[in-house]
Amino acid sequence: MRTLLLAGLVGFGLAAHAAQAQEGHAVPPPGGANPLARLLLMPDLSAIASFAAVLDGYEVGALSPRDGPQGPSGKLTFLFQELEVGLQAVIDPYARADVFISFTPAEVAVEEAYLTTLGLPAGLQLRAGRFFSPFGRLNPTHPHTWDFLDAPLARGRLLAAETLAGPGLDLSWLAPLPWFVEVHLAAQSTAPYGGEERLTGVGRVSQFFALSDATTLGLGLSAARRDEGTGAARDLAGVDLLVKVRPPAGRAYAKLEGELYTRRYRGAAVPTDGGDGWGAWAQLFWRQDAYLGYGVRWERAPAGGGAAPGTEQRWSAVGDWFLTEFQRVGLQVARSERPGGADGWEAVLHAGFILGAHGAHPF
Amino acid sequence: MHSLRSILAAAVAALALAAPAQAAAALRVITTTEGLASLAREVAGDRAQVESLSRGVQDPHFVDANPILAVKLRAADLLVDVGLDLEVGWLPPLVNQSRNAAIQPGGPGRLTAGGLVGLLDLPTGPVDRSRGDLHPAGNPHVLTDPRRALQVAQAISLKLGELDPAGAAVYADRTAGFTRRLQADLARWQAELKPLAGRKVLTHHRTLSYFFDWTGLQSAGELEPRPGTPPPPAHLASLVTLARREGVKAIITENYYDTRSDDLVARLSGARVIVIPGDVGGDPQARTYQAYLELLVRRVVEGLR
Repeated sequence: MRTLLLAGLVGFGLAAHAAQAQEGHAVPPPGGANPLARLLLMPDLSAIASFAAVLDGYEVGALSPRDGPQGPSGKLTFLFQELEVGLQAVIDPYARADVFISFTPAEVAVEEAYLTTLGLPAGLQLRAGRFFSPFGRLNPTHPHTWDFLDAPLARGRLLAAETLAGPGLDLSWLAPLPWFVEVHLAAQSTAPYGGEERLTGVGRVSQFFALSDATTLGLGLSAARRDEGTGAARDLAGVDLLVKVRPPAGRAYAKLEGELYTRRYRGAAVPTDGGDGWGAWAQLFWRQDAYLGYGVRWERAPAGGGAAPGTEQRWSAVGDWFLTEFQRVGLQVARSERPGGADGWEAVLHAGFILGAHGAHPF
Repeated sequence: MHSLRSILAAAVAALALAAPAQAAAALRVITTTEGLASLAREVAGDRAQVESLSRGVQDPHFVDANPILAVKLRAADLLVDVGLDLEVGWLPPLVNQSRNAAIQPGGPGRLTAGGLVGLLDLPTGPVDRSRGDLHPAGNPHVLTDPRRALQVAQAISLKLGELDPAGAAVYADRTAGFTRRLQADLARWQAELKPLAGRKVLTHHRTLSYFFDWTGLQSAGELEPRPGTPPPPAHLASLVTLARREGVKAIITENYYDTRSDDLVARLSGARVIVIPGDVGGDPQARTYQAYLELLVRRVVEGLR
């Protein structure tokens, strides 16, 4: 059917093109710039912009508070979400630097700015600066790399309002084993829900196994303890899973992934940003080809905001259209089920673009 | 205690079995493509263990930055890549993740082949992505020309000699032998291709500039209106017109591309689609660089006959 349609369009185009061809139409070559400009010691510069149109069926901000695109109930709202500027380069023979500055309607903030060593011995690597904590699969990544258009509820309710991050040191080790085993130990100052920055220790072990030429299995375990003052602590734990099937020939793949987080307070009264609890998300994403992808996601998290105490569940479906490697349009529809039968629909239409030279995305 | 020791011994044995077989090779060479791996094997023989990060059936622009590949890079003595931004979407994070300082760009264990040969398709004028996902420093598909492949093999030989001085003479001898064998084939291939010189063909992506430079075939254009962008119907229509006008008899496409657009243009213009392997290993008959070139030449000659 698609071929027939294409053939019809081509037939129509042939007639139009014949006249153009007779006129000897040609685009003159432009002149000017140096084709090797990228080699002249400039860092890789990139800007990633995200815009959205949202239509929510309930007051998301009050009943299901979270980071991410949202608007007043029943009103179509256009949002400028973020412009992320990236500067990335090897700065000397010993280290590379990655800097990401986020411009949002609310603030301008340094999301990440860190050095990474290039040549420590024994499989070690050190990051120093401000960085997203190496906790779980999603937390260390930037939103434009996600298959869905917002973060799972559990991340915002249990780890941090936006991203668990802060200044500090992250020492990692690639184990000398036939499969991928990476161990992170990080010490950072974090303020997951605003307020005072406090010392946080993070540990993570991630492993990847090649089950076949096409199938990769990833497993991760994460733990963090944040000092809450006067001998109290906030403990976080997480487990994450990835199964990706991508036959080597072609661009199509299927990816099943998910995470489970738990949070527990020790030794003091529970802070105002929530008590003990657990949450999880799981999603299946199918990239049909270079241009189209579809996914479904399930989430569970402690209910927040004005919702009755209990558990919030959410189901989402997303369709992504990648016009090129540098433009993406996505449509996500979600249904949230909150305690007391206060359910509601959400819809987000997202558009984003990348300009400049941006580093490769994580696996 | 005894049982604990047994368990530990079993675990160590299992790890040893899981590890890739380490021959008595002096060096471990990792390449980004199967074509480069084949050249490295020709040069190094048993003195190096050679492995490619990508498969010949893969589009080398779009390999996943799978962390498992970083494990291969961790112990590499030499990383041979094409460069020219061919692997920019996946290689840099793997090199970083490998913690192997020697294979960083400019490091003693890094050889970037693209910079060692005469390059084609260097864009002139402003370079931005209105022109598609182009390669600003030149076309990276250099190994479709055996003359340039020999230059790359020579560079690999010299690099291996630097890293393993005891084997330098071996590498030089093997490279000389490979050169003789390839040049013998080259003369035969050129004789087969000579009648086709000047013939115009279409390609799916601009992957065969160096092949055309060697064979004298001419490019009439690409199915992709700009590198990395899908062909809209108007562009396909223009190609049909062009193919009829210029007498284009073939559309050559690598087997990792979707050929529906190629098939359509071929059907409407009377041309034929020639499907070729994208690299060594991209077809069961293309297990070595020579076999890959043999297959490429044979398919093109038969397709244009």
